[in-house]
Amino acid sequence: MVEATKKRNKIFDYFTTEDQFSGGVAWCAGCPLELIARTVPKVMGNKVVFVGTPSCSAPVLHGQNIGAWHKCSYLACVMTGVASSATGLSRYFHRTNQEATVVAFTGDGCATDIGFQTLSGAAERNERFIYLAYDNEGYMNTGNQRSSSTQKGAATTTTPVGKVGKGKPTAQKNMTMIMLMHKPRYMATANPAYMEDFAKKLQKAKELCKEGFVYLHVFSPCPVGWRIDSNSVIEVCRTATRTNWFPLWEAENGKPRLTVEVAAPKPITEFTKLMRKFSHLKEDGLAELQREIDERYALLKTLVDAAAKQT
Amino acid sequence: MKAKKGKISVMMGNVVAANVARLCRPEVVACYPITPQSEVAETMSGFVADGSLDAEIVEVEGENSAMNVCLAASVAGARTFTATSSYGLVYMYDAIMQASGYRAPVVMINVNRETPGIHAVSSGQQDMIATRDAGWVQIIVENNQEIADQLIMCYRLAEDYDIQLPVMLNYDGYYLSYLNEEVEIPEQSDVDAFLAPLKNQPQRPRIIPGAATGCGTHGMEMGYVEARYKHWAAMDRAKKKVDEIDQQFADYFGRSYGGQIEEYRMNDAEIAILASGSAAGTAKTVVDTKREEGIKVGLVKQRLFRPFPEERLIAALKGKKAVGVIDRSVGFGWKYGPMCTELKAIAPSIGNVPILSYIDGLANLDITIPHIGRVVDEVNAAAKGNAYQAVTWIPME
Repeated sequence: MVEATKKRNKIFDYFTTEDQFSGGVAWCAGCPLELIARTVPKVMGNKVVFVGTPSCSAPVLHGQNIGAWHKCSYLACVMTGVASSATGLSRYFHRTNQEATVVAFTGDGCATDIGFQTLSGAAERNERFIYLAYDNEGYMNTGNQRSSSTQKGAATTTTPVGKVGKGKPTAQKNMTMIMLMHKPRYMATANPAYMEDFAKKLQKAKELCKEGFVYLHVFSPCPVGWRIDSNSVIEVCRTATRTNWFPLWEAENGKPRLTVEVAAPKPITEFTKLMRKFSHLKEDGLAELQREIDERYALLKTLVDAAAKQT
Repeated sequence: MKAKKGKISVMMGNVVAANVARLCRPEVVACYPITPQSEVAETMSGFVADGSLDAEIVEVEGENSAMNVCLAASVAGARTFTATSSYGLVYMYDAIMQASGYRAPVVMINVNRETPGIHAVSSGQQDMIATRDAGWVQIIVENNQEIADQLIMCYRLAEDYDIQLPVMLNYDGYYLSYLNEEVEIPEQSDVDAFLAPLKNQPQRPRIIPGAATGCGTHGMEMGYVEARYKHWAAMDRAKKKVDEIDQQFADYFGRSYGGQIEEYRMNDAEIAILASGSAAGTAKTVVDTKREEGIKVGLVKQRLFRPFPEERLIAALKGKKAVGVIDRSVGFGWKYGPMCTELKAIAPSIGNVPILSYIDGLANLDITIPHIGRVVDEVNAAAKGNAYQAVTWIPME
């Protein structure tokens, strides 16, 4: 008899309910979105009500005709209105004392572009629900077009590389900073390569959304659009944090703190070499990208240090 | 049982709408201010602030969010209320379609105003016309009392188990929104009593946390077709339901509006005018005057705009010798005004008679007594076999 020698992953301690999703869901091979989606109700329980939009998550979250891929209640809404639809639901559930964790579950295109206004409005009103934006840095569901979350230089189908085109000409919108300035009750970045960190943040989100607005920004690289081998997606996720491409932090009432400290961040080339969306970049392009990431991290660190001094 | 006599007040149209909306006890309210609707939003917020309305009020950052808040709360089971106008209605467009597709019984006031294209901060029905195929029930009213009474009936219609459709109540911006007029506001207990049948019907489907209920699945092929067919059939059922609710309202409150359409001196009329909204009030005066002159004219006031009151219009207009239709909007792509175009679609059932289209009242230009008088004279001449102009833009003459 073979004995199980592998240490049990701590993530299982955070699960409160069985997997609410069926097997064989219709997401692409290797896509971390599946892991992210399954983990949300596993940690938060089956009273999660998903509010979704047209997006990579839509086929699974909203099903087809009377067929469903999961057992959570859900509302599918227009891309402009995910945060306001979640507002309507959570207001009514609170009013009628129905226990529910309303989770607006949508991509960066919705969060940073077309649904940005309603997201900002809900954050300002301090609505009691969770807005989870999974960031695949572009419109991946429609076939890899740029969004404001696409990083500078990235090749997408609407910022292609050609005789003139050099990929996306402008830098990524700093969405997490923008959300931090809304001073939400709780916000965090998360990454499926750091599952325990993610689960802790989901737990906190569930509790703190009873008091006010919660924003979660979750890294979700797209194996198809970014051109990554499907078996190396988690490695890409881990490298994103180790290069400061995607730092892991959280903030209660606008006070940020790092949840994963990276002692010696690696150069971003360690990250960009794992995919082909930056493969056209020469030294100068990569150096510019490195500066962008360094600047961004420096700003975050300044705020983290300032918050630490305040408390 | 009859309702008690309500309190008589002089009130602005917008304030009437808010007061009666409060009596209907909406649970979730989201209004974004826009001229000429703002007093509705302000008054609703005031009610919540002074404790006279127990509702979740969401101070949204735009109309698109107002509609999303309402439709989401509605599919969770809430009674909702919102109000908008013009640009606001256009800005909710995706969510408006979502609300009807989800059969969310949202009740919305739309204070008619001209739409984007040219900045006209003035009355006109172009906003309502631009959303006519969105799958909403659309009702147009004539005066402040009708705003009050129809709003109560709108909830009965929207939330009826056999209907479950969003309802848009339209009234003319400026002409009614800012008009101070005597109005009888019903007692709370009577509004409660009139809406009580909604509590005795089966509970409509809704989103329940933890119960694996959803709304907004991908409609694939026949799944989509079936949902659309049911929506279409509900729209058709709404016509008779409007008449039934009007009858019940008349029995209880003592005021009747004729349901889908109102016929004014139509019984022995030889020719007819079709109008809607506040212009219908002016048209009644003109009908009276022209009758004294010996012209047998009647008025059909179209209250129900969507679904189109086909059967009632045929019954009212069949055998008339000519019809003049006054539109307060433009039907781009057609020569005739939008309501006239629709009437022409049922012309074979009315009879092969002249149908004259008139465009008037755009951008706060008054539809005056002389204007309608002229319409009557021209329709009368056309009925006698004289040549006539198919479309007349009255202000351009």
